[in-house]
Amino acid sequence: MPAAMCDLHTGPRRGFLTAVTTALGALVAAMAAMPVFTFLAHPLRARTVSGPDEPVRVANPEELKPGEPLRVTVYGQRRDGWMRFDRIKLGNAWLVRTAEGRVRAFSATCPHLGCGVGWADHAGRFECPCHDSAFGLDGRCLSGPAPRGLDELEVVASDQEIHVRYRRFKVAISEKEPIG
Amino acid sequence: MTDEPPGSSRPPSPVPARLPRNLPQRYAAAVAAGKAPLATRAAAWLDQRTGYSAVVKLITDEPIPGGARWWYVFGAVLTFLLGLEFLTGMALASAYAPSVTTAWASTAFIQDTLTLGWFIRGLHSFGSTAMIVLAGIHLVQVLIFGAYKAPREMNWLVGLAMLGLLVVFALTGHGLPWDERAYWAKQVETSIVGTVPLVGSWLQTLLQGGDGYGNYTVTRFYALHTFLLPSAIVLALAVHLFLVRRHGVTPRWNRDEAALAHATQSYWPGQALRDTTACGVTMVILALIVIKTHGAALDAPVDPLASSQVRPEWYALPLFQLRHYFGGALELVGTMVIPGVAAMLLAALPWLDAGPSRDPLRRKLVMVGALFGAAALGVLGYLPLRHDHGDAVFQRARAEAAVRSRRARELARGGVPPEGGLAVFRNDPLYQARELWEEHCADCHAFTGARDDEAGSAGLARSAGWNGSGVSPPKRPGLRGPDLKGYNTRQWIEGFLRGPDGPRFMGGGKLDDGMKAVVGTDQELRALTELVYAETGATDVDRNLVDSAESLFSDKDCDSCHYRDGNNENTGPNLKGRGTLPYLIDVIAESTARRLYGEKAKMPRFADKLSPDEIAQLARFVLTESAK
Repeated sequence: MPAAMCDLHTGPRRGFLTAVTTALGALVAAMAAMPVFTFLAHPLRARTVSGPDEPVRVANPEELKPGEPLRVTVYGQRRDGWMRFDRIKLGNAWLVRTAEGRVRAFSATCPHLGCGVGWADHAGRFECPCHDSAFGLDGRCLSGPAPRGLDELEVVASDQEIHVRYRRFKVAISEKEPIG
Repeated sequence: MTDEPPGSSRPPSPVPARLPRNLPQRYAAAVAAGKAPLATRAAAWLDQRTGYSAVVKLITDEPIPGGARWWYVFGAVLTFLLGLEFLTGMALASAYAPSVTTAWASTAFIQDTLTLGWFIRGLHSFGSTAMIVLAGIHLVQVLIFGAYKAPREMNWLVGLAMLGLLVVFALTGHGLPWDERAYWAKQVETSIVGTVPLVGSWLQTLLQGGDGYGNYTVTRFYALHTFLLPSAIVLALAVHLFLVRRHGVTPRWNRDEAALAHATQSYWPGQALRDTTACGVTMVILALIVIKTHGAALDAPVDPLASSQVRPEWYALPLFQLRHYFGGALELVGTMVIPGVAAMLLAALPWLDAGPSRDPLRRKLVMVGALFGAAALGVLGYLPLRHDHGDAVFQRARAEAAVRSRRARELARGGVPPEGGLAVFRNDPLYQARELWEEHCADCHAFTGARDDEAGSAGLARSAGWNGSGVSPPKRPGLRGPDLKGYNTRQWIEGFLRGPDGPRFMGGGKLDDGMKAVVGTDQELRALTELVYAETGATDVDRNLVDSAESLFSDKDCDSCHYRDGNNENTGPNLKGRGTLPYLIDVIAESTARRLYGEKAKMPRFADKLSPDEIAQLARFVLTESAK
């Protein structure tokens, strides 16, 4: 018996048992951990927050005069995790009527670091209160640290209603890259 | 050796000292020789600075007197399952939101939307069940081996406390989804807490965070389940393991100490392999059960105003049954006194059975008591199951709950409104129509298909529950308008033709000078039925049969009251498009129109009460529900 015992503690049998136990333990741990990692990685595969994909009504055409941008709040349905909000504030946008009468819309989020861009009436341009980026009526960056112009949003305008498809974009990069 | 008095110093480890156990030295030699792989050198570096190998040695070198045995694995499997509960619990906590409005919604999100959420939740739920089962087996093994005897009394008590913690864990966790089953089970449990003499209502208020259920109840259960209980059980486990290490495992009673000492092995690798294998087998069985059942059940979100038939979880069924035998003032005997005395007896066991012998045959009283206890638990747990199995009312209630659950979860996939779980039914496209139906139509119409004359109150009772569509039964016995189940089927139409005054049809309306039953051969009635059926726009119409009915329509004098052109007015409704959506819209909007029922109409004109949109919704609802 002592010989057998010594075998178990020193001989190749111990090495074998150690290897089997370690491998089995790793396998069991992986069985428990893999589903948990898969579960936690869900946001890498699927959207957990999603807004409306279709344009939503923001204003009537008569509210918008040429050269006088109109700030509108875009409301829409949003899925947020388990919840569904039927009417939630998605964000702000600036509506602009061009000289030719066309309606354009820009996200009010500064492409620099995400502050809310305002309209400076005296200067006739959009200005960001945080770092003094300035943008023209056509959304182009006139001055300041902003890496690109204001992000234009898709507009669907009829005689009765102006609709905007609201989107968010990554800030602080020179390309206009949508989020989600 | 195993019965040494507490506090005495342990004999030197029986593992031979000449084994190359001194890891730092081994590292040092290898590192000094310059041949050590990077991992060994890193381990040596870490060991020099932390001394971790001493801790590892403490575990791997635990002497197992008599050698590794399969019956020592239960503690290891329980520890593994506790780890699994922590792992899956943390994952679930990353997606669960404790509040009255979000608890069910986030649980449904975990169960039905998140990747493998059903699996994680299933592992967590069935894992807790497995823990209670295995803790029971562990307890029985300790009882048989007499492992509670001196010097292990404290370990026995700590183990019992951990079993108690496991049950409280399960009870609190069960409440978190805030579904029907959880809510009502928790109501009963906190109410029982409330019946404790003197401090009951105080305890209940403390536990549920107020004098009733609300947000603060959910957050309290959550904090208990995820912070307080885990901390307590980790502490208890640490003490338990420390005491096991201090006193060693308890070998079988019939082996003498010399032989045991002779056959002593260290924990690693013999016992470690057995433990790991047992953990692996447990994990595989657990995963298979979760896959087979698609995880833990999730009932519909709770409507606190509508009680439902709910049973406690299986481990509480014996207590549930015990309570049945004690009514009125004696209720406390069933809920507190008997379970309390049993628990106290169990806790006092090391002192009640203080003799030195661990042989079960010399501890007959303990064995008989344990057997009696196990049998009592088994019988008390089985009786409610058998009762419910044969209880048609309960089975129907559960079946209806299952339908509600399926529907609610299906709708929740589209997102739950901020008002919380119950508002999910608003996602139902037919929700508004259903509300309108309840308010304006259910007094006179139903979709039961039951004839109140033949079924009487039984027919109504049969339809009284949730029938899958959420339509309530008619509010009074004896419908005043037609029962619309199968309204556009041949059976319904033929039934109408054969007996328009029948209770399913116009009988309840008691029309003055209403339609007479059509008398004719079966063939003639089938033909006329087909003629009316063709108006519904059905696609499986037998044209030859319809053609053969054309002459019958005047032969049987149908045409003296009914036109079929959609324009002309007569004493009976114009049958053009009977059963189509536009026809139903017309009937709901204005059944008194001369083209329809005219002065004979008993049904109110809804064009004044409802918007055209609402009427169209109702008409669509009638078509959907009648076809179910």
